[in-house]
This record gives sequence, structure tokens and C-alpha cells, in this order.
Amino acid sequence: MPSINPLPPKENALFKRILKCYEQKQYKSGLKFAKQILTNVKFAEHGETLAMKGLTLNCLGRKEEAYDYVRRGLRNDLKSHVCWHVYGLLQRSDRKYEEAIKCYRHALKWDKDNLQILRDLSLLQIQMRDLEGYKDTRYQLLVLRPGQRVSWIGFAMAYHLLKDYTMAIRVLDEFRKTQSVKQYDYEHSELLLYENLVMREAGLYQEALDFLNEYNEYLLDRLSVNEIKVELLLKLNRQEEAKKIANNLIDRNPENWAYYRQFEDAAQISCSEERCKLYCEKESKFPRATTPKWLPLTFTTGEKFRSVADVFLKTSIRKGVPPLFVIMRPLYNQAEKVKIIEELILGYVKNLKDSDYFEANCDTSEEKEPATALLWTYYYLAQHYDYIGQTRLALQHIDLAIEHTPLLIELYVLKAKIFKHAGDIEESVRLMDEAQSLDTADRYINSKCAKYMLKANLIQEAADMSSKFTREGVSAMENLNEMQCMWFQTECASSYQRLGKWGEALKKCHEIDRHFSEIIEDQFDFHTYCMRKMTLRAYVELLQLEDKLRMHPFYVKAAHIAIEIYLHLHDHPWTPESEQNNDLDSENLSAAELRKLKRKQKKKERKAEEEREKQLAEQKRKDQQSKKSQDNDLDGPKEEELIPEELAKTDNPLECAIKFLKPLQLLNPNLIGTHVVAYEIYSRKGKLLLMLQSVKRGYQLNKDDPHFHVCFIKFLLHVKGVKDLDGGVKTVIEQEVNKLTENKPINKINQEFLDRNSSSLPHYFAGGQMMYLIDPSTKELAVKLATSVSSNIKGVTRTTSIDILDSLCKGDFGPCEKEATDFQAQCHNLFPYATAFIIPANNNTSEPLSNGSAS
Amino acid sequence: MTRGRIELGDITQHNIKQLKRLNQVVFPVTYNDKFYKDVLEVGELAKLVYYNDIVVGAVCCRIDNNDNQRRLYIMTLGCLASYRRLHIGTVMVEHVLDICAKDGNYDNVFLHVQVNNEGAIKFYEKFGFEIVEEKQNYYKRIEPADAYVLQKSFRNKPNTATTNSVTSDSPPAQDKKS
Repeated sequence: MPSINPLPPKENALFKRILKCYEQKQYKSGLKFAKQILTNVKFAEHGETLAMKGLTLNCLGRKEEAYDYVRRGLRNDLKSHVCWHVYGLLQRSDRKYEEAIKCYRHALKWDKDNLQILRDLSLLQIQMRDLEGYKDTRYQLLVLRPGQRVSWIGFAMAYHLLKDYTMAIRVLDEFRKTQSVKQYDYEHSELLLYENLVMREAGLYQEALDFLNEYNEYLLDRLSVNEIKVELLLKLNRQEEAKKIANNLIDRNPENWAYYRQFEDAAQISCSEERCKLYCEKESKFPRATTPKWLPLTFTTGEKFRSVADVFLKTSIRKGVPPLFVIMRPLYNQAEKVKIIEELILGYVKNLKDSDYFEANCDTSEEKEPATALLWTYYYLAQHYDYIGQTRLALQHIDLAIEHTPLLIELYVLKAKIFKHAGDIEESVRLMDEAQSLDTADRYINSKCAKYMLKANLIQEAADMSSKFTREGVSAMENLNEMQCMWFQTECASSYQRLGKWGEALKKCHEIDRHFSEIIEDQFDFHTYCMRKMTLRAYVELLQLEDKLRMHPFYVKAAHIAIEIYLHLHDHPWTPESEQNNDLDSENLSAAELRKLKRKQKKKERKAEEEREKQLAEQKRKDQQSKKSQDNDLDGPKEEELIPEELAKTDNPLECAIKFLKPLQLLNPNLIGTHVVAYEIYSRKGKLLLMLQSVKRGYQLNKDDPHFHVCFIKFLLHVKGVKDLDGGVKTVIEQEVNKLTENKPINKINQEFLDRNSSSLPHYFAGGQMMYLIDPSTKELAVKLATSVSSNIKGVTRTTSIDILDSLCKGDFGPCEKEATDFQAQCHNLFPYATAFIIPANNNTSEPLSNGSAS
Repeated sequence: MTRGRIELGDITQHNIKQLKRLNQVVFPVTYNDKFYKDVLEVGELAKLVYYNDIVVGAVCCRIDNNDNQRRLYIMTLGCLASYRRLHIGTVMVEHVLDICAKDGNYDNVFLHVQVNNEGAIKFYEKFGFEIVEEKQNYYKRIEPADAYVLQKSFRNKPNTATTNSVTSDSPPAQDKKS
């Protein structure tokens, strides 16, 4: 032991027992032995013992004491690798990885060949993606333990991740020379396929193919081998061979689209007839497979399409395939096909009603269609009409279906969905609740119902609904958070946002953000596990996934909500009243409605109160439990509690927003929304160059996006208004702005935007809004543009119309009460089911009801 | 129309509302909460019928021990209009008779039918039910209010038939009482 203060044999033996106790998680005994050493006056300040005591205390959840002891130990023995290692472990358990790496490096200074420390260090380096450092550490480990498999693989992988493929392949080749292969050696097979992956990433296609052939007999994952071979053969232009293997793959799994595509590529068939022939062949070979029946729908047209679609639809309706519409939906981007499908289905309805056959003049000796055929046809038709925006027809057909079979739950679900799409969320909640009540053992429908409740801002009701399936004894909210149930949390955040409960909404957003952090944390265990188990291909994939984790739509949604709220909190700082008043849009409600709402709210509050009490009791119970099981080590550091009010009270909302923005900018630069919110944040911070950056990125991505256009024009106006700029900044801004505008005046740019995107409501709305902003005297024209919802205009959707109505009410076009009321009436005609456009009958004021976001 | 797949399923607290909804649609009579509570306790005596995985009918019975007899009473047996003439009713009656046969201790099985419901009467006669009684003003809120009692007896019949066949005579109940 290279300590400055070695212990005599008796104490040394005790110290070893502390280490053993730590490894075996017998923390209490460990503390006892530590005490035995430390009570001896001679060793009361023995550094390593103090450090170990600290580490043991940490495992018992006594973090503060732990830090005290470990630091004291370290001070007493700065040259002990044990003390430094212990300090590193403590930091690691606290997820302070950077700090931990520093500690390990210190420890290695005093004991440079310590395997355990090197291994721990390499884990932290790969976790933090310090690839250069990782490579060095793996090199040392290889030198120290060349006999170990993991040493070689880790070393090779370090080069692979650094994209030094040649070196990685060399190391793997060397290593394989030392290996003896057993029969059915799956791990060896995985090792070979990993090396093959490296070769392919290096672009060595011919070598990779030769490699597969050379080691063919050792490769046990035959599916992967064949898939890789097709890919390589196609890259090497060896179509004949590729075709053969692709054909085998189809025979092995006739439902995989990719195999057909590869086969077509290899066989170099592109004309519709040849393709049909291929699918016909496969269909007769696999009569139960869907893919060979479906894919021809994508490339046939006209009468050919009609006949293929006819067979496909009939078979599916006869069989009763509930997601038939979802299967057909990808074809709905082609108007011709939509028309043919509609004609076919309408024909079925008529004939099934008349004769129980799909066709009018059918051979009556054939079996009649099942009684459910008409039902599924109605069901399809309702979805069809809903999708193409024909709410009235959709409702008519779903009602026919319900009359035919009042006990099919899917029908109520669909009816709820139709109302949701039409903008009547209350009715859709009612229907979804009914659907749910028909089968309370179905979690899918239960979740759907909860989701709809959240969309209707019925948060407590949604939690109660979910609680039928969450763990007992814990509140549903808590359990759903623990289970990382992110669809619920994002919807819930939106709900709170609409209600103006900024703190609660932020809490949900932060919870979601934490899930992503946790998923990244959870990687840690795989660094050792995958190396040991040789699942290297999957491991590399995992590393890549974790690097891009926050690309996920759940993160994007939560981040956008959080940013919107932080922007709002910047513009309207939090006050105790602001939350409560936001609850009710009281100005727009009649006295009776207000009373009703207040009553409802009181009830909700009471319920929430009860819920809180329940949670409190639960917390107490848990605390007691955890006291009992104190010897178990804790699972990571305890997270700071998220308190809604504290979150909303933040002093620097823009900084908080930037934290959510960063991953978006890094991982989602292809979403225009990223640059729009970036602009919004930086414009409030007054950071001209960063504003410019966001505008430039957005401009390159899609200058015709309506939301971006608003930012662009605002930016140009802002730049025009800014005086006294720094020399350097001024030049850059001027140069770049000139590049973007080609020296055109702002109103010209706006006009060009409108011309480029004529007959599109979202663009007219954005352009009109900016027109007014540039020159308020254009108000009349601007409002006319933004409210042009005639039939030749594209993009007239309910949500866009709501945005426009909100904007009119907010005063984006100056005061325009009358215009807003007229527009609302117009929209009410277009979207008769949407509650947002219903003008309350007993409302004296002419001010329209704004039902959009609460901001 | 013979392509359908007919199966029986249990009634549980989770899907009981489907039974309620079905009865609302199929019968002119409404049943009280006790009816639905009891149905959950009787096991095989109450069943939902699925046609191609959709609930289209249901049968509910109870044991009737009046008059020193052990009888099975069919409280409800019905099927949605769109799914009639598909043998769904037959499957339900066969199920009921099957219970009687397996049990072997029933004296008879019986039910009430509105006197003008010729279709139903014919249907049950196919299975060997006979009109044994007419009850005046049996129904309270529907017209006609009179009902027939249809009954199929398991006593005093030769012990020859197989248990599965329902159109022929069912095996006799082993006579214990009375």
C-alpha cells in the first residue's frame, strides 16, 4: 500500500475487512470496523480509513457526512490512490462525472497501473464521450492485461468510435488470431459481424463481402448475414446475386417491405406490369401475407388500381380488419386514388344493404358476406369522410354503424375522434368515456380516454381515469412520472399551459427532460455488460441512439412548451394572482356560466386537496419504509424536488428557455420551429448576432414557413430600428441582412412572400400580420388577407382559423372587434361543430370568445 | 351468411355495461341493478355471444327452486337485429340445454314470451319447448301485457338422447324430489 501512513498488521487486516464489507454491501459492519481503527488515537486521522468510512456512509444515504469524511481522509493522505479513488467513486455516485474523471486521474498518478481505477476511468470516459481519453485508457488496459478479451475489444472499439477504421480492423484481426472457436460460438459470430460492421462503415464493401464468405460457417445470425449481403451486393452492382438472396429473404418473411424494394432494385424492374407480376407471384405463394397485396396499391393507377384496391378492400372488410383505414391512409395523398376508393366503398355499402354481397350481380351460389361486412364498411367510410374533412358525412356513417352494432367499442372511439377533429372536445370526451366504460379492463381505451380528458383540460379527471391501471397506493401522477409515461406528461403540460398554470406546466416539462437525462444515465451499465456479452453491434447502436436521444418528438414537444412559457414569463413576470386569474377567461362568460365554472373549480380544488393529503400520507409511509431498508444502496442521487411555484417564479426565464433550446439546436436543426423559438428567445435578450444566426438558419431551411416569415420580418424591422451599433457587429449585420434581402425594402419582401405562397391561408395570415406591422395604414387589406377563408384558398383548417381569431382578438391587427366577430361567424359556418367559433347567445358584449391558447 | 365465427364469453364487472347496452337495445323491458349484480355471480348461466369478435347477443339464466322443483329460468336471451338468422340464438339455447344436461338435476327449463312474439315461440318450439301456461298482465309497461310460459321438461322422458343434441330430446333429469 503506497500510503504515507501504513497501518500495522492488525489494523491493516481490519481495513481489508472494511473493503470487503463495502464490496459485499454490508455497510453497517464496515462502519464497525472503521470505528475500531479510528478509535485508536494513533490512527484517528488515518486518511484511507476515513475515506472508506465516508464511502460507506454514502451508500447508507448519508451524503453530507460522506463528503466530510472522504474530504478529510483525502486531506490527511493526498498521495494515496485509495483516497483519490474513493473521492472519484463518491463523485460518480453523484453523477458529477467530470469531477470523478479528475479524481481518477489523480489516483492514477500515485498508482498508474491500478486496473480497477483504469477500468472505472474508461467507463466514465466512454459515458462522457471523451473518446481520445478512452482510447488511451483502453491502451493501458490492453498493455496490462493482454490476455483478456475485453481489453482487445475495448481497444478496437475506441478506434472504431474515433473513426480510425483501419486501426480498429487491425486490432480485431490480431485479436481473432488468438481465439479458438467453439462449436456454435455465438459470441464469436457477433465479434465477426462487428468487425464486418466496421468494414462497412469504412466503405470497404468488397472486403466486407469477402469477409462474410470467408467466415460463413462461423456466422450464426443468418438473417443479418443475408441482409448485409444483399446490401453489399447492391452496392457492388452484382444484381443477379443480390436478387437471389433478396428473394430468399422475402420467402423467409413476406411482410418486410425493404426486401421487396431490394429485390426490385436488384432485378431492375421499374415498370408497373413487371412489378405487379412479382407481387402476384408472391401473393399466390403466401396467400396470408398482406404486403404483396398492399404494395401494388402504391404504384398502380387508374383501372389497374381500382381492381387491386377492390380485392384488397373486400378481403379486409370480409375478414374484419379494424385498422384497414390506417393501412390505406398513405394512399390518401393522391386525389385520384381517394376518389376510386370512395366509389368502391360506396358501392359496397349499397350492395351489402341490398343483398349481402359486395357486388350487385353476384353469383348467388357463392357464400354471402358476413353480417359484419356492412359494419366495417360503414366504419371505413366514416374514417374516410373524417380524414377528408367531411364531418357531417363522417358522423352520419358512424351513426349508421352504431345503429347496426351498438356494442362495438371502436365505433365510439371513432365518433369521439371525429368530434375531436371537428373541434368539439367536450363531446369527444363524453364519447370516449362511454367507450371506456364498455370495457374497463382495456388499458388502451383507458389511456385514450385520459388523453382526451387532458385535451379538454380535465387534468384531475384524467389522473383518476389513469389510476385504474397505475400502481395502488401512489397517486397516478406520481406513478406515471416514475414509469416515464411521456405521452401523458406532454399532454398534461399542454393542458396546464392552456389553463395558464405556468408552474405546473413547467414541472411536467422538467420531468420529461429528466426522463431523457435518466435514459442517458442508464447507459452506464451497458458499457461493461455489452463488452462482456459481446453484443457489440447493438452496443454501438445504443451509443449512437443516446447521442441523439433528445431528437425524440416527446422532448421536442416538452421543450417547445417550456420555451413558450418561459417567454411568456419573461414578458409577464409571475405574480401570485397571475396564475389564478388565468384560470378563467371570466370576461367572456355570462354570470350563470361563471357561477357554474366556479363551482366546478371549487370541486376540483377540493379534490386536489384530498389528493395532496393522500400523497402526504403516502410519503410518510414511504419514508418509514426507506428507513427500514436503509442498508440498500441508493439508486443514484436524489433529484431536487420540482416545485411549480418556484419554477414559475424564476428570475431568469430566458436562461431557462435556452437550456431547453440547446438540444433542439444541436439535434433538431431540421425543424423550422427550432429556429423560430431561438429567434424569439434571442430577440428578447437583445442578442443581435444570435438573432441573425437563427434567422439565417431558418431562412436556409425554409424561408416560406409562415412562422419563420414572421420572425424574419420582425428581425428586419428590428435591425432597421437599432442605432449605435458596434463597428464590427454593424458590418456583419449589414452584410448579412443585405445578402438575405438582396437590398429590397421590407414591404417588398413581405409582398414577395405572399406572391410566392398565394391562396394559402397560413401564409396569408403571416403575411397580413406583417403587412400591418410594417405599415398600420394597410390594416384593411391585411385583415382581409388573414381572414380570406373562401373555398379556393388552401390550408383553411380549424386550428389555423383559431390562431387567426386569437390574433385578431389580441390586437395584432389593431383594434378589430367587428372583423373578429365577422370572422368568427364565418368560421362557425365552415366548422359548425367547433366550440371555438360558437358565439354565446346570451352574451351582451360583441367581443368574441377566444378559445385558443391562454397566452 | 355463414362466414361468421361464433363464440361465448364470460360476463365480468369490466364488460357488464355491454350487457346493459345490449339489453337496452334488444328488449322493451328494462332490468334493475339487482339483475346485473346477480348476473356476475352465476358463472356459466350468463354469457355474452361474440360474432367475429364483436358482442352481438347474450343469455342470462337463474336457478328457480319454487314449488319443490329445481328449474332453470331463462331471464333473457337475445341478439342484435343485424345479426339474426345466423344461428346465434341456437348457440345460446344449446348452451343452456348443455348446462342442464351436464348438471342432470333440473326438472325443466322455462321462460316467458310475449304472446304475440310468434318468431320466438317457433324458435323455442324447435328445441322442444312447449307452451304450458298463459299469464295475464305479466308485463307492466308493454303491450300486449300477456305472456306465455314456454317450458321444456326433462322428466318422464326416455333416457336415450345424447347430451349434445338439442333438437332431439334431452336426457331426463334424475328424479330426486317429488
